[in-house]
Amino acid sequence: MKRLIELSINGERHELAVEPQTTLIEVLREQLGLTGTKEACGTGECGSCTVLIDGKPILSCLTLAMDCCEQHIVTIEGIAEGDQLTSVQQAFLDCGAIQCGFCTPGMVLSITALLERNSRPSETDIKKALEGHLCRCTGYNKIMEAVKKAAEHMAAKDS
Amino acid sequence: MHFPKFEYQRPTSVEEAVQMLKEYGSRAHLVAGGTDLYPRMKYNLVRPEVVISLKGVPVKPPAIEGGGLHVDALMTLVDVARSQVILERIPLLAEAALNVGSNQIRHMGTLGGNLCLENRCTYYNQSHTFQYVEPCFKRDGDRCYLIPKGKKCQAVFMADTVPALICMDAKVEIQSETKSRQLPVEGLYTGDPLSPLALSEGEIVSGVIIPNSASIHGSGFIKFSLRGGMEFGAVTVAVLLHAADDGRTCDSARIVVGSVAARPVRTLKAETTLAGQELSDKLLREVAKKVATEIRPVMHHGYSAPFLRECLEVHAFRTLTLATKNIRRD
Repeated sequence: MKRLIELSINGERHELAVEPQTTLIEVLREQLGLTGTKEACGTGECGSCTVLIDGKPILSCLTLAMDCCEQHIVTIEGIAEGDQLTSVQQAFLDCGAIQCGFCTPGMVLSITALLERNSRPSETDIKKALEGHLCRCTGYNKIMEAVKKAAEHMAAKDS
Repeated sequence: MHFPKFEYQRPTSVEEAVQMLKEYGSRAHLVAGGTDLYPRMKYNLVRPEVVISLKGVPVKPPAIEGGGLHVDALMTLVDVARSQVILERIPLLAEAALNVGSNQIRHMGTLGGNLCLENRCTYYNQSHTFQYVEPCFKRDGDRCYLIPKGKKCQAVFMADTVPALICMDAKVEIQSETKSRQLPVEGLYTGDPLSPLALSEGEIVSGVIIPNSASIHGSGFIKFSLRGGMEFGAVTVAVLLHAADDGRTCDSARIVVGSVAARPVRTLKAETTLAGQELSDKLLREVAKKVATEIRPVMHHGYSAPFLRECLEVHAFRTLTLATKNIRRD
């Protein structure tokens, strides 16, 4: 039986009809057309469905839409300002950290959350932040470079 | 991957949650973070008609009361790992919480959820939609695929925070509609892979209470796995050493191992070997050997029992060394 809920996504409020078992990723992709968030495993192991909920990296494939009513959700579509990419997005491009791009939205959001909390992450901090993201293409090295580059860039901007 | 249909309830307090549990009985399942229950629901291993989401229940911050620290079961694992008071008083628990799953899972999953983590097996924890074989013991069938001639289930205990809590002599607080009870954390685990938790219908794990440690102690935690991250342990070792005034002689020890049996295992003989002894390298190696012989590891997730035994010796030694190095005066 569908219920009407209101979700805040990328700063906009949306009224949606959902069933109890409707996941957040279904709402994002199928009802709102926000297909930047990807679903691969559906069981919380790959990280491609990662979104930010109240600033925290959360797996949208294991989140019920009905559990998100009072929260601020940010998807990959919500971080750039118009055509201006964020430092993290730009660093991924500059370092060649994207091949097929499927894991990228989730990675970018987790790193965005990391750098928001910790602008000088150690190698271990970065690995811990990316622990829940699988990439079948790149072998991860360029992704690590991109994160370090983004951190340097953000530190330079702040100083 | 879609969920099967279910009804949804959202209590705003533990009291309301246990009332709902009583009302719905076995038709309902509690869920906090969802990182354990939801994948199993998607694999059709468990089919609640009603999901009682605990996301609307406020989380109490860690509280020092009556000589111990009370930690709410609904605290997320990342909050446990970062909590100042937990890092100061029980770093072993913070370290264990930091090892669970992935960053996202630690932001969603809760301490209570980790305590209630279902036992795992590579055959059980997967989709069975395209298999045309008889179900295993844990799926209400009559055989085991891990050990083909096995007469019983071999699903293994995998929760990382539990060995740390047992080392700290922690108690778990369990609430139902009619009463509240406390028992040592190790008492929560039956050792029966088919029904690993000693919880009755209508009960909820509401918190853990960790008594203050003796003033001079050191702890260590190592979770060994192949990937080193986003993985269940091959062996998980937690050690707590209480030291005498000189900081070098062990008064008493706790060595608790996870991931090698149907419940967490304390190696009592190995612990006794440490009592009253100077914590030398030689002694720690001897104790590590004892840990590896005292436990009969169950093969799991592709690791053979002999290999797990070797891992036990190596990682018990490393964890004991870490705990010795960490000895400090509070």
